[in-house]
Amino acid sequence: MKLDPKVPGGPLAEKWDKHRFDSKLVNPANKRKFDIIVVGAGLAGASASASLAELGYNVKTFCLQDSPRRAHSIAAQGGINAAKNYQNDGDSIFRLFYDTIKGGDFRAREANVYRLAQVSNNIIDQCVAQGVPFAREYGGQLANRSFGGAQVSRTFYARGQTGQQLLLGAYSALMRQVKKGKVEMLSRREMLDLVIIDGQARGIVTRNMLTGGIETHAAHAVVLATGGYGNAYFLSTNAMGSNVTAAWRAYKKGACFANPCFVQIHPTCIPVHGSYQSKLTLMSESLRNDGRVWVPKNPGDTRPPAEIPEAERDYYLENKYPSFGNLVPRDVASRNAKEQCDLGKGVGSTRLAVYLDFSEAINRDGASVIFQKYGNLFHMYEKITAANPMHEPMMIFPAVHYTMGGLWVDYNLMSTIPGLFVLGEANFSDHGANRLGASALMQGLADGYFIIPYTIGNYLATISSKPNDTGHQAFRQTADDATEKISKLLSIKGKKTVDEIHRELGLVMWDACGMARNEEGLQKALDKIPAIRDEFWQNVTIPGSGQELNQSLERAGRVADFLEFAELMVVDALSRKESCGCHLREESQTEENEAKRDDANYSHVSVWEYKGKDSSPEFHKEPLIFENVQPSQRSYK
Amino acid sequence: MSKIELTLKIWRQAKSDAPGRLQTYASGPISTDMSFLEMLDVLNERLTREGEEPVAFDHDCREGICGMCGAVVNGHPHGPEKETTLCQLHMRHFKDGDTLVIEPFRAKAYKIEKDLVVDRSSLDKMIISGGFVSVNTGGAPDANGIPIPQKNAEEAMDAAACIGCGACVAACPNASAMLFVAAKVSHLALLPQGQPEQARRALDMVREMDALGFGNCSNERECEAACPKGISIRNIARLNREFLKAAIFSDED
Amino acid sequence: MGLIGSLYRSSVGKKSIMAASGLLLSLFLLTHMLGNSVSFLGRNAFNTYAERLHSLGVLVYIFEIGLLTLFLIHIITGIILYLENLQARPARYSVNTSEGGRSWGSRTMPYTGVIILIFIIVHLMNFHFTDKSVPVADLVRELLSSPSLAFFYIFSLVALALHLSHGFWSLFQSIGFNHEKYNPLLMKGALVFSILMGTVFILIPVLTLVSRSFLL
Repeated sequence: MKLDPKVPGGPLAEKWDKHRFDSKLVNPANKRKFDIIVVGAGLAGASASASLAELGYNVKTFCLQDSPRRAHSIAAQGGINAAKNYQNDGDSIFRLFYDTIKGGDFRAREANVYRLAQVSNNIIDQCVAQGVPFAREYGGQLANRSFGGAQVSRTFYARGQTGQQLLLGAYSALMRQVKKGKVEMLSRREMLDLVIIDGQARGIVTRNMLTGGIETHAAHAVVLATGGYGNAYFLSTNAMGSNVTAAWRAYKKGACFANPCFVQIHPTCIPVHGSYQSKLTLMSESLRNDGRVWVPKNPGDTRPPAEIPEAERDYYLENKYPSFGNLVPRDVASRNAKEQCDLGKGVGSTRLAVYLDFSEAINRDGASVIFQKYGNLFHMYEKITAANPMHEPMMIFPAVHYTMGGLWVDYNLMSTIPGLFVLGEANFSDHGANRLGASALMQGLADGYFIIPYTIGNYLATISSKPNDTGHQAFRQTADDATEKISKLLSIKGKKTVDEIHRELGLVMWDACGMARNEEGLQKALDKIPAIRDEFWQNVTIPGSGQELNQSLERAGRVADFLEFAELMVVDALSRKESCGCHLREESQTEENEAKRDDANYSHVSVWEYKGKDSSPEFHKEPLIFENVQPSQRSYK
Repeated sequence: MSKIELTLKIWRQAKSDAPGRLQTYASGPISTDMSFLEMLDVLNERLTREGEEPVAFDHDCREGICGMCGAVVNGHPHGPEKETTLCQLHMRHFKDGDTLVIEPFRAKAYKIEKDLVVDRSSLDKMIISGGFVSVNTGGAPDANGIPIPQKNAEEAMDAAACIGCGACVAACPNASAMLFVAAKVSHLALLPQGQPEQARRALDMVREMDALGFGNCSNERECEAACPKGISIRNIARLNREFLKAAIFSDED
Repeated sequence: MGLIGSLYRSSVGKKSIMAASGLLLSLFLLTHMLGNSVSFLGRNAFNTYAERLHSLGVLVYIFEIGLLTLFLIHIITGIILYLENLQARPARYSVNTSEGGRSWGSRTMPYTGVIILIFIIVHLMNFHFTDKSVPVADLVRELLSSPSLAFFYIFSLVALALHLSHGFWSLFQSIGFNHEKYNPLLMKGALVFSILMGTVFILIPVLTLVSRSFLL
């Protein structure tokens, strides 16, 4: 297979305009003859569904939850970037582009990232027109803040609920199209497989999660906006339902997967407190502005924090990185926290946490100032842990948060299967090896509102608008495969629950394929994962039947796919023998033990093609060419 | 961390049209650091291992924002803690030996699907009837084109914070959805972008609410007290105002 | 009628009708209370007040018909709302607890409403459909010196106060008035209003029972 990113020629700033002009259009009268399936109703899926329906296409939108308003985009707290330069502080489209591509450690495609920065401004306009209540200044103008270490204030926000408000905006646009009859909304449906006819994506097979019915849906194009795969680690900040199934099924049908090992790990999460833990909660990184990170100097010191004298505390970030201190980037903070815990210096009942101490800031600025800044975060922390950070240090630990990898797409957001488009976190396109704060919301909405409406037309104009029919043999075959897989799962009747096995997988992934990786650990994981997978297929137990609401069965289907997908993550991690973005490859370090990127050998996207059940995936390389920016090495010492 | 043991009386119902009943389970030892849903996870893991069907309940983000979870615990939607969703309720708020009666949200407009899972699509239907601004993608004017007083933006945000969990309906003695509708009507009525469709929206959303079989508001304030996001009934007054203004003075019908 | 009809077809409309009729009925109660308080000035003042009122002739009839209409609207709308609300939750909870929003007044609205309706019928039988030639002061003393009737009056008037304690602020909410600044005041006002009404009305049966000189 030859990968063609289809990046248009010409100067960077003119590529998107030129491409839009060169793209073929679908005649307005013909748009109603085309059916489009959108899977997922988060920021990307909802905005795409609404925008495509507005153009006149017939859209069918699917989501797992009872309502499209619940997708996990809703949990994003911080904000959304745009190059509006309302603050007159020197921001520009080029600067946003540069920051995003540098934030991704130069592992993303220039043209895609530039386009993202270009449409960022339209997103803010669109959201305001929908009634998104962004924060405002007294004069009625939009407020901005600086976020994630950016040098300019370009982040728009709606309290700590920016994701919620943006999603509700996209959801309301979607609901408006449902009223108009242009979108058929199918909730509580899980996509089980993709249907390919003559090499093109022509439909999907879903399971009705209430009745268990296996349904087939045909369309001229399929759009996947199914989010990230962080739950491969079992514990993550993702929602419980977030999964890789749709993307993995597409992969097995011929869509290539790009950079699966690129996973962002967020340093300030509430630590694990027991084996029953079901998910991790993220707290804003802004806490590190005033909190000091420390652990006891002596491993195994179990005294309460107040009893550990100053001299016996190790402020490891401040000592190691004197100029950045506690404000080192996410990956550095995360990696060092895990390192301290691995040395036995972790705190809390599970010894898997480090302190984030506000006492010095409280002494310096006064309790009221600190409380005013972080009161809502402290409140959230106290609700979960029953401890008040005003009186005792917070405990934090890193957690899997966002996955930069995803299905490979070209400049049109089309995968290697013609007619299969992938948007938002589910694709790999814009964040490289690390995502900048407040960029995920921007990318989801950019893909859905402003990119797919143009690029999908360019595809549809090349195919026949003949009505779709689910009577084709391929639909029957795919539906039968899905039914068979479900019966197989239900017939195992073993001893272990789905969650027990998922947890085992998560531990292996966290240890071997987390923040720091090495050849030996990854090789071991490659032995362990198939063993866990075998155990799953021989010993899992799923009560109930397939013809009803069966949450154990739903989870089992997703874990079965994670068990296959995890192996690809590890394979990808093994092949990338450089440190970059979020990950330290232990074999690739500078003399000061910092991450060392290897542009000579790894300035590419790693793209994996499925080659059948018993063969290894085939590796393809999409070289990354930087014509407008000069890749630079990071330094935080 | 300490452990408690509880008696759980959980509503079990195989499907919509099957009869349901409260079934009693011993919780076994429960860590007080667990969330309420983790407590149910632990019970479900045990039921699964014993070959019984686990309790079906809706949940997703588990950080109090998606609005998917919710059950009535000892008569309280989302449990007894104020401004807390079920997923953010922690077991340290219960005492060893407590009995918890766990029921699904109940209303004519909420069909029970299974155990604690209910169909709240009626909430979406009310948004479909008019809970949006009619603006297509593209061509929106500059975001700073219309200044919006900070107070209005803040008040709109207060209303827009609704997570659509539907606890207001569950808590209302009349199973009224007024707080939900009021939150959306208020959010959009407070912003200039929502004002052109203000009258139409209030009339359509109230009409849809009535058609779906929700009860009438009798100003009991139970919704406000139960709302995990603390949405005020001032929004209901605003809805009443918007509706009456539209019904009496506008040309819309 | 178009407007009334369309209001009746919606929940918010019905509530506004409930509120408007409730407000007018409250105003009537206020005048009734002021009229009754004339009784504290003595027998002659009270009798004169009643005679003057009756001498208004046709105005009284118009007023009575208006009042009757208001009551009917309030009662019929109330019954419709009550039945609709009952239907909105066919399966009840096994545990019923308040979230802390409800008051005794709000919780008992339909029941206090029924008590007030029965009371009004009895009250009209006692004082309206009766021999008008008997001076009103004598009528009061004659009827309310019976402890059972006096206690029925007291009980009903407590119910009225309870009804007002919720109704008098709730009606403002229903017609859309709820201001951050003034609503706490309004809610306190409703409480004061209901206590004042209840106290003045109840004083008459109480004084009749306990005072040897009241209205004599």
